[in-house]
Amino acid sequence: MSSFSKTRIVDRFAAVAQKLGGQIHLRTLRDAFASIMPFIILAGFITLINSVILEPTGFMGKIINPDTLTTWQSIGESITNGTLNIMTLLIAVAIAYHMCVNRGYKNVIAPILVVLSTMIVVTPLTTTFTPEGAAESFLVSDVIPISYTSATGMFVGIVVGLLATELFIKLSSSSRLQIHISGNIPPAVIKSFNVLIPIMINVIIFAFASFLLNLLFSMDFNTLITSMITKPLSYITTSLPGFLIITSIANLFFGFGIHQAVISGPILDPFLLQNMQDNMIAFANHQEIPHIINMAFKDTFAVMGGSGNTISLLIAIFIFSRRKDYKDISKMTITPAAFNISEPIIFGLPIVFNPMLIIPFVLAPIFSLTVAYYATALGLINHVVVQTPWTTPPVISGFLATGGDWRAALLQIIIIAATVFIYLPFLKVDERVNAMQMAKKSE
Amino acid sequence: MYNILLVCNQGMSTSFLVEKMKQAAQEKEKDVTIWAVSDAELNENWEKADIVLLGPQVSYLKSTAEKAVGNSIPIEVIDFLDYGRVNGEAVLDKALKSINKD
Repeated sequence: MSSFSKTRIVDRFAAVAQKLGGQIHLRTLRDAFASIMPFIILAGFITLINSVILEPTGFMGKIINPDTLTTWQSIGESITNGTLNIMTLLIAVAIAYHMCVNRGYKNVIAPILVVLSTMIVVTPLTTTFTPEGAAESFLVSDVIPISYTSATGMFVGIVVGLLATELFIKLSSSSRLQIHISGNIPPAVIKSFNVLIPIMINVIIFAFASFLLNLLFSMDFNTLITSMITKPLSYITTSLPGFLIITSIANLFFGFGIHQAVISGPILDPFLLQNMQDNMIAFANHQEIPHIINMAFKDTFAVMGGSGNTISLLIAIFIFSRRKDYKDISKMTITPAAFNISEPIIFGLPIVFNPMLIIPFVLAPIFSLTVAYYATALGLINHVVVQTPWTTPPVISGFLATGGDWRAALLQIIIIAATVFIYLPFLKVDERVNAMQMAKKSE
Repeated sequence: MYNILLVCNQGMSTSFLVEKMKQAAQEKEKDVTIWAVSDAELNENWEKADIVLLGPQVSYLKSTAEKAVGNSIPIEVIDFLDYGRVNGEAVLDKALKSINKD
């Protein structure tokens, strides 16, 4: 193990991780998504309450007056408006903040306001509306369309957030653009003047850029980014093969001791979240659920007991292992594993730098996700439609994430049981290799 | 009085270790403050610390973190077995040794 941990492959992985983990824009994205996660989880919670418990045509409708339920639902709807429906604005602001922190830029509020302002600058404030029975649609002005501020426009938030903040920090660090005033003026006043010109230039540039793009492509900024960047990338990352490959690479990194979020955080999560939100909205509106693969889908079926579905490894050890140290460590790590925290077993057993355990650690999620994907596609379980916290214990998570489908919880149990037998042969080989090494040592 | 800051991906798994380290500190009657944050919060936290301990899963942050603190305090990566086995005592001992070396 020690010789393996010092091999060149490991160094390669560490070097790549350092580049990816240290790359400022990817880092900013990862931090920003972590910041807005509570809002997404709140939205998931509300969706669950509104669509399962407060549903007027559901079981509660027989106990409580359906009209009362509809009134209660409106409270939840206002929360959905303030979370899901402005996700693009939230992510843009969070990016501005984390970019400042990562760049060491102190005057954080200025870039945040600039980003918020530019977001609206590039957004067309009109929408089309077709009244019931009418043949023609109307152009409604003076509105901020939810389709631009919700998850659908998320990439616009990311692009504007990153570009506008970068530009602002560049502009405001140029001393030529600062106003120099002499005399007895409080520093706060000087500070406000010093951001004045960068703010003006920044917003104006975006206004012109958006105007020019509109002229050239006869498409607004949002539609352009969504159709040119978001759609193709999303197609690659959230199709089954693409999704499995990226997840496996991320897990392989974990096998070399580097947290999988380095890979999946910036590359996968934005698209998974977008799918998640599409699903949540469709579920709330009783529409057909558009995506199988999304954020909670991954957590529900491939992060049971933590990355690599390590809950199955724990079970395999409890039932089949003869090594006392393995059993002791597994006992210790069962509590964190119940909340899908797998670092103790990954580093404690260890799985890291141990090829015999890295292999099933990567294979188990591939198997689990494929099974869950086809189970959903065939209609054996409901789609995953609710964002649950990733720390929700397995079986409960399946039930909640699918909007209360017990079959999904059952599928989780089946997957856990089947995955035990993916880990088992490798665990046995690992124990045999270990026993041989021990025997050699004692000779 | 020592201040020990632990950093991991979300500050979640490290919080288990923090509890064990606190216990170890109490048994040894050492006056230490120990807390865990996510790597995104490192910038706002390191100034209060005498040492920063990185979880092995974020060991790749070492050079970035060193740059951030400008070599004012030591930055160490926690041994992965100590980390996984939540060996609070060993991690605490190594941390105190590192602080006192400076």
